[in-house]
Order: sequence, then structure tokens, then C-alpha cells
Amino acid sequence: MSTLSSHLLDEIKELPAKYPQPRSAVMPALDLAQEELGHLTPEAMSEVAGALQLDPGYVEGVATFYTLFHLQPVGRHRFYICTNLSCMLRGAEDIVDRVKGAIGVREPGEVSKDGLFSYEEVECLGACEYAPVCRLDHRYEVDLTRAKIDLLVNNRRLPRKHIKSRPAADVTTPRPLPGSAGPPRTRGGRQSKPAPRRPARPPKESDG
Amino acid sequence: MAEKRGTVGGPVLTEWFGKAKLHTLDVYESLGGYSALRKVVTEMTAAQVIDEVKMSGLRGRGGADFPTATKWSFVPKDHPGPKYIVVNADESEPGSAKDRYLLENSPHMLIEGAAIATFAIGGHQAWIYIRGEYDLPYEMLRDAIAEAHTKGYLGDHPFGSDYPLDVRLYRGHGAYICGEETALLESLEGKRAQPRSRPPFPAVKGAWGLPTAVNNVETLATVPWIMRHGGPEYAKRGTEKAKGTRIVTVSGDVQKPGNYEIEIGVTYRHIIEELAGGARPGHKIKVFWPGGSSAKVLPGSMLDTSTDLDGLKALGTMGGSGGIIVMDDSHCVVKAAARLLRFYAHESCGKCTPCRVGSNWAVRTYERILANEGSETELGLLERVADGLQNGRCLCGLGDAAGWVIESTMRHFRGEYEEHCLRHTCSVGAVLAHA
Ligand SMILES: Cc1cc2nc3c(=O)[nH]c(=O)nc-3n(C[C@H](O)[C@H](O)[C@H](O)COP(=O)(O)O)c2cc1C
Ligand code: FES
Repeated sequence: MSTLSSHLLDEIKELPAKYPQPRSAVMPALDLAQEELGHLTPEAMSEVAGALQLDPGYVEGVATFYTLFHLQPVGRHRFYICTNLSCMLRGAEDIVDRVKGAIGVREPGEVSKDGLFSYEEVECLGACEYAPVCRLDHRYEVDLTRAKIDLLVNNRRLPRKHIKSRPAADVTTPRPLPGSAGPPRTRGGRQSKPAPRRPARPPKESDG
Repeated sequence: MAEKRGTVGGPVLTEWFGKAKLHTLDVYESLGGYSALRKVVTEMTAAQVIDEVKMSGLRGRGGADFPTATKWSFVPKDHPGPKYIVVNADESEPGSAKDRYLLENSPHMLIEGAAIATFAIGGHQAWIYIRGEYDLPYEMLRDAIAEAHTKGYLGDHPFGSDYPLDVRLYRGHGAYICGEETALLESLEGKRAQPRSRPPFPAVKGAWGLPTAVNNVETLATVPWIMRHGGPEYAKRGTEKAKGTRIVTVSGDVQKPGNYEIEIGVTYRHIIEELAGGARPGHKIKVFWPGGSSAKVLPGSMLDTSTDLDGLKALGTMGGSGGIIVMDDSHCVVKAAARLLRFYAHESCGKCTPCRVGSNWAVRTYERILANEGSETELGLLERVADGLQNGRCLCGLGDAAGWVIESTMRHFRGEYEEHCLRHTCSVGAVLAHA
């Protein structure tokens, strides 16, 4: 009985053909595995290695190098809080403090008792004009305040039937754009939209 | 994202920003988008494209200011197999958000630019390496590429021609070093992102061992405009040797942080005070990073410095990635430098000893200083570590950048360092949160 589902392993086996050289498939494959399990276990990594015909040690070496691969369990909703300079100047330390309090953990990586949350302090997210900023459920949350953190957390604690998933990406009906195009969106008006139980699978390279 | 923060309707890059649904192919095309690519593939030769870009004087916006046309011309013309354009969309330099701004507003602009560049080097495929945290820009690019295929603007016969062109996406997974072009190529090949030694240069042996030109998002996004209006028209903007416009991200202690398109050569005072609203009332600008965290700092007294790339180089700093981080007098320079050193130490890939060891030493020294355990020794130590980092002859510039932060903050703010090390006080206290 494998850790990864057999259809996922089949999907992984098809990845190498999408790149000029098969080895490039290692990160997209680890992505799929992480999306299914929440984090990368040693078994999952060796199954990925098997499916790609790579050495398990090699795959683990890649997974440990990149911070977006998680080798430990994570909360269903993970706050990636930027604490780099521009965010620090605008109160990131306070935001980290509030996240810890709101989700009830003491340190980065610790998962809240209900399994819903964890957080991590990260380097610049490339959205410094909106500092302080965090990434949560595949979206950026901007102009963070203590109150906004409470809202983000509380919304994700609602019973699941109230939770709508984000609209799926769709070429024919493009989603509203950040600020620019699309229906007018009041500042901070989006943050109340919680994510699905497992964040929707991230889009695949091959989709383009 | 919340409301748009930055230039709309600017002279070049942001010309169409603010138009409803600009991210869709139809709107982009109705404004003139894809006319450049159409002309290139149906009427022009690769050499003509390179010439046009050469006349524009465009220099890379990823940090190194390298002339774009020259970079393309290094890719061997007669190489038989595949050649690649690799788009650096890893944007991870602290203070820099302009590539994200471009992608979220106009993904087709990058796709068109990348396709033109691919044609110019005689290749057929461009790979966009985008940092993993950029979910929305990723999805927008993916959708836009699909639209371009559906329309027949990418694929086997773009615009009815017989010159296949494709643009592919590859997601990064969190590591600043992936922005360095050879580390990026390693990562694209499915390896740990550690810089390669050069030569061979990517132009000869790049992605998957094949000739490659690596270009920044903003660099390529500028190319369609140049092809539409002509190189000489672009070259009318900017300074004598640094042509055109660029997008700067202004962040930190200013009233209107944002991404502003500026003509190269305007002063930092213009950007920081006029565009970004200046410091909060009652505060003065103490220091700014003129081109990302890796650019040597300039004190507030030098706000009249020009954004001219060569002028900045002459001052020992750089226009870099265009990220301008502003700090006012309510914040402590030593604490800011300590934070950036923590960043460089964390992001050092570990391959070169001076960078790995030096940055960690610096972090520990700053920790002692901020714990009020500093003395004359720590001051001397920081100077030596900065020296070792800057002259480390490492494979890439990460270690140098770490050294520059220490050296430039110490040079301009020696007093604050001495206060911390010798008197164990800080005149501005801890870094204060904004009210
Ligand atoms: C440590 C380090 C990080 C870098 N990060 C980036 C980056 O995030 N984005 C980028 O475009 N260039 C980055 N660069 C510069 C690239 O190596 C390369 O010069 C650039 O992508 C070339 O594109 P251009 O000629 O269009 O500027 C970085 C360089 C170093 C040394
Ligand atoms: S410093 Fe936080 S997003 Fe750049």
C-alpha cells in the first residue's frame, strides 16, 4: 500500500515528458505529493523518486533545499508572514505576535490543536508596497493589522458549509484582477473569503 | 490584491495599466498588444529585432544593467539544436515588487516580450521561472498563455508563420538564490539551486546545457513597446547611457508606497517625496536603499541623487532591481542591517565558504550587539566580516551584497553603531510599529 494515491503516481510518471530533460519534473512532482498529503514524508519522497526513476536521496536533497516544501506536518491554513525589512518597518513583528495569539501556538511550524493553522516567518514576498503582508491559502493578504488577522483566523474557523472555495482559474471567464481590472473591490474586501478544506490543487506547469 | 498602488497610464510599461480587463488577450490586443510579435514573426529577421533593441539602449532590469541586445547576440546563431529564453520571474530581492506589479496587470506583455526575445535568439521556447509564492501571477500567466495558444499567436504557426513559438512556466519553491541566473538554471533542471561557475556562460551552456539568455520580467515586458515604437523612440527617454523608463517599488516609511514608472535620471527626491508622498508628518528620511536591499545605502541627505545607472555605480551603489526601501528617523539602522544580514545568511546556498561563514558570523555579531553585549571588538569584527564578504570571490553576488549592507550602513551611520556597541543605547529605541 503506497502513501501516495495510485492516480497521483500515474500523474507523476507523466511529468518528465513535459520537460526538455526528465529531471526537471522533480519539483512539480513533489508539489503534487505535498498537495495530496499536506507535507512530504520520507515514504512520499521515495515514492516520488521511484515514479521518476531517481535516487531517493537525490529527491530528498532537492526537497530540503527549498522552503516551500514542508517536511513536517503543517496546519491546513498556513500563514507565511513576511518579516523582511519593508514589512518589519510597518509592524511585521506585531503581526507575527498576533498570529501566534490568534491561532494559539508558540513557535513557527507548530500546528494549532485543531489542526487548522500554523505559521512561518518568511523573507520578502515581493509585495512590499502593501506591507505588512502574508501569504495564506495561495493568496496574499495585505495591509495587515491585528484586527485583520483575527478576521482571517475566525473566518477559517467557520463550519465548512459556509466556506466557499475560490473560483477556479478559467480562461474564458477571467477572474477579477488585483486592483486594476474587474469589478471594483473595496480595500480589504476579499479577505473574508476562506479557502477550501485542502487548498485547491495548485495549477500545473503543463496546463499552459 | 487590494487597490493598485502605482503608476497607471505611464509613458511605456504602464501605458495601458488601469484599462479594464487588460489581462485578457482581447483587451490587450485591442490596445495594440501582439502587433509587435505579429510584425516580428511575419516580417522581420532575428538580426533586425536585435538591432532595434540595440538602438533602444535597453539594459537589463534584473539588477546587473547588462545591455539586452548584447546579451541576445552572445547566443550562438549557428547552434543546431534548441536554444532558450529563460525569464527570471523569481523576484525575491527585498524591496522589489515591480515584476509582480507587471504580471498582475498585464501578463500578455511579458508573454509577447518573451516570444519576441525567443525569435531574436533563434529559439522556439521560452521558460518563465516564477517564484512559488506568486500564485496569482502564475495563474494569470497560465491562463494568458492558453489564450495566446487558442488565438494562434503561440504554437506551431504563430500568426500563420512557420516559426514555432512556445512559452512555458516553471514554478520555484522558495529560495532567494534562485534569482541568480545560474542558480535559477540549476533549479529549472530539477536540482538544488546553487550557482554555477562561469565560464561557460549561459549564452553557450545554459538551460539543460543549451544556449540560453536569461532575462528579467521587466526587461522583456519593455520589448513589445520598443518594437512598436522603434528603438530610437525609446532611447529618447532616460539619460545619455541609461535609456528609457523603469518601474521602481517604493516601500517602507513613506506615505504612498507603490510601484512607479519613472524616466531613468529623475532624482530619488522626486520619487520618494513627490510620487511616494515623502515621510510621515513629523518624521525625516534617514536612509534609503536605492536599488533593492543589495544596493549600498544612501543617507537622507543624498535624496537629490539621480537614478542614472552609471551615476549610481560611480557612487559605489546601484539601481539594481529598482526596489527603493525608505527608512525614517523613528527606526534604528543597526536593527535594520541586522535583519538584512539574517536574510542573507538564511539565503546563502552554502556553496562558497566566505559567504556561508561570513554571513553567519555577521548575524551572531549583530545579535550580540542588539543584546547589549557589543564592544569595540564587535565594531572591528563587523568591519572585517564585511571586508571578507565583499572580497570573497564567490560564485555569485549574494555574499557581496551582505557585505555591502554592513559596510555602507557603518560608513554612513557609524554613530548609531558606536552608540549600540560602546554605550549600549539606541537613540531611536527598538523598531517601532507604525501607528
Ligand atoms: C543573489 C542574486 C539574486 C538575484 N535575484 C534576481 C531576481 O530575483 N530577479 C532577476 O531578474 N534577477 C535577479 N538577479 C540577477 C540575475 O542573475 C540576472 O542578472 C538577471 O536575471 C538577468 O536579466 P536582465 O539582463 O534582464 O537584467 C539576481 C542576482 C543575484 C546575484
Ligand atoms: S518586505 Fe515584506 S513583502 Fe517585501
